[in-house]
Amino acid sequence: METNFLYTLFAASAIAAAGGMIGSFALLRRMALVGDALSHIALPGIALGIIFNFNPFLGAFVFLALGTLIIWAVEHRTKLPVETLVGVVFTLALAVGALLSTEEELLEVLFGDISKIGISDVFIAASVSFLIISLLLLFYKKFALTLMSPDLSLSVGYKPHFLELLFLTIFALGVAAGIKFTGVLLMGSIIIIPAATARNIAWSMKSYIWLSAVLGVLGAVAGIFAAKILGLAPGPLFVIVAGFFFFVSVLFRRN
Amino acid sequence: MSILEIKNLKVGPKNGNILNAVSFSLDKGDSLAVIGPNGAGKTTLFRAILGAVPYSGEIIKDKNIRIGYVPQKVDLERDLPITVGEFLSLRTHAVAAKNWDGDHSYAGALKSVGLGKEFLNTKIGELSSGELQRSLIAWAVVGHPDLLMFDEPTASVDIAGQETVYELLHKLQDEHGLTLMLISHDLSVIYKYANKVLCLNKAQTCFGPPSEVLSSAELEKLYGGGGKLYHHMHQNGN
Repeated sequence: METNFLYTLFAASAIAAAGGMIGSFALLRRMALVGDALSHIALPGIALGIIFNFNPFLGAFVFLALGTLIIWAVEHRTKLPVETLVGVVFTLALAVGALLSTEEELLEVLFGDISKIGISDVFIAASVSFLIISLLLLFYKKFALTLMSPDLSLSVGYKPHFLELLFLTIFALGVAAGIKFTGVLLMGSIIIIPAATARNIAWSMKSYIWLSAVLGVLGAVAGIFAAKILGLAPGPLFVIVAGFFFFVSVLFRRN
Repeated sequence: MSILEIKNLKVGPKNGNILNAVSFSLDKGDSLAVIGPNGAGKTTLFRAILGAVPYSGEIIKDKNIRIGYVPQKVDLERDLPITVGEFLSLRTHAVAAKNWDGDHSYAGALKSVGLGKEFLNTKIGELSSGELQRSLIAWAVVGHPDLLMFDEPTASVDIAGQETVYELLHKLQDEHGLTLMLISHDLSVIYKYANKVLCLNKAQTCFGPPSEVLSSAELEKLYGGGGKLYHHMHQNGN
């Protein structure tokens, strides 16, 4: 097998594992669409990266971090629902990004192209994914409780407000790392679909978190092999495979 | 010895328009019932004590106090994929304390609220509302609280289960010398289990032993004569 294909497989699996795990936490608080919309905030950052010739990952992360910080701060000040804020901020970012990009770049940024990656991208993807998984497991109790019930989190002496910011930052990091491969539009699906599938069939919290990661990896590997065989783009195929898993899991849904 | 003292507490953007001029203190072992109409700021008072809402005035808590909180509406999604055992393990397990000796295991916490250890592997979503409420009390028990704050203990429990949740709280209080704060609408519960009562209607309208402060004039002032409190005294024969 060619090296580039192995790169792709490895990087995509790492990102899918981290994305699935982020999703399992995000879905504890019905944040599914927030994640989807959030990924669009990266667009102007990527566009700037392309224009000024620096790593788009960096641009994406800076914009995502800024975006989440704004959302977090305004939510805390105004108590506006986070969906509203994300909705406003993401369309703003999308508009700015569209102005900054040419049409061709825009297509690539929206849908990604995992077959065009180099060794440095693989390195970034793998180390960021590893960092994300470690952080989520390290702060598992605090994140899980804070996302499930901020009041209970506060009552046991955790700092839910700070933990929310930390989680959003990890979220942003995951999106930034994955965006090169999947594009802005599909990144949300890596985070949401495996976790939603796992939630249908999990019998405990532990199984839920691990299943989310494993289902993400399975979807990524299956999508990439299918893309190789069919000669199609891997991103959309990942979504189709993951979506198929989801509908099968609905049949096995507990409760 | 005062375990909690509140002085001129105000909450709200317009200088106390959610909660205004609340002052009271609790001693160890007290049982305080907080009463008042809907929107009177009862839950806000609890949240202020927890530090969840900004306030002005003073909330002086005993040093090293451990607070257990059982919210009214559990904001937990009912289909969360988490077992009761995992849920209990999300909080730091308190070390043995003077007033909490004996079985410190999660199974022990469940036992103290009348649930068997098989519930450790039951998912939250599979619990009845009464079992969920008991699990939440077990959650508080794991932290070995000195002060247990309970927002409307029976709000989600059927009539048959009601008495036992209060009895359970009373038993925990007796065994561990807890201080209790509970929001209640039930006068018979207040007379039976509370030694102090706080009337709230955005501002504080009474504080003291129920037999002294709960005159019908006071209740009418608080509830506008709407009779929203339930008087079940006859059932207890006292």
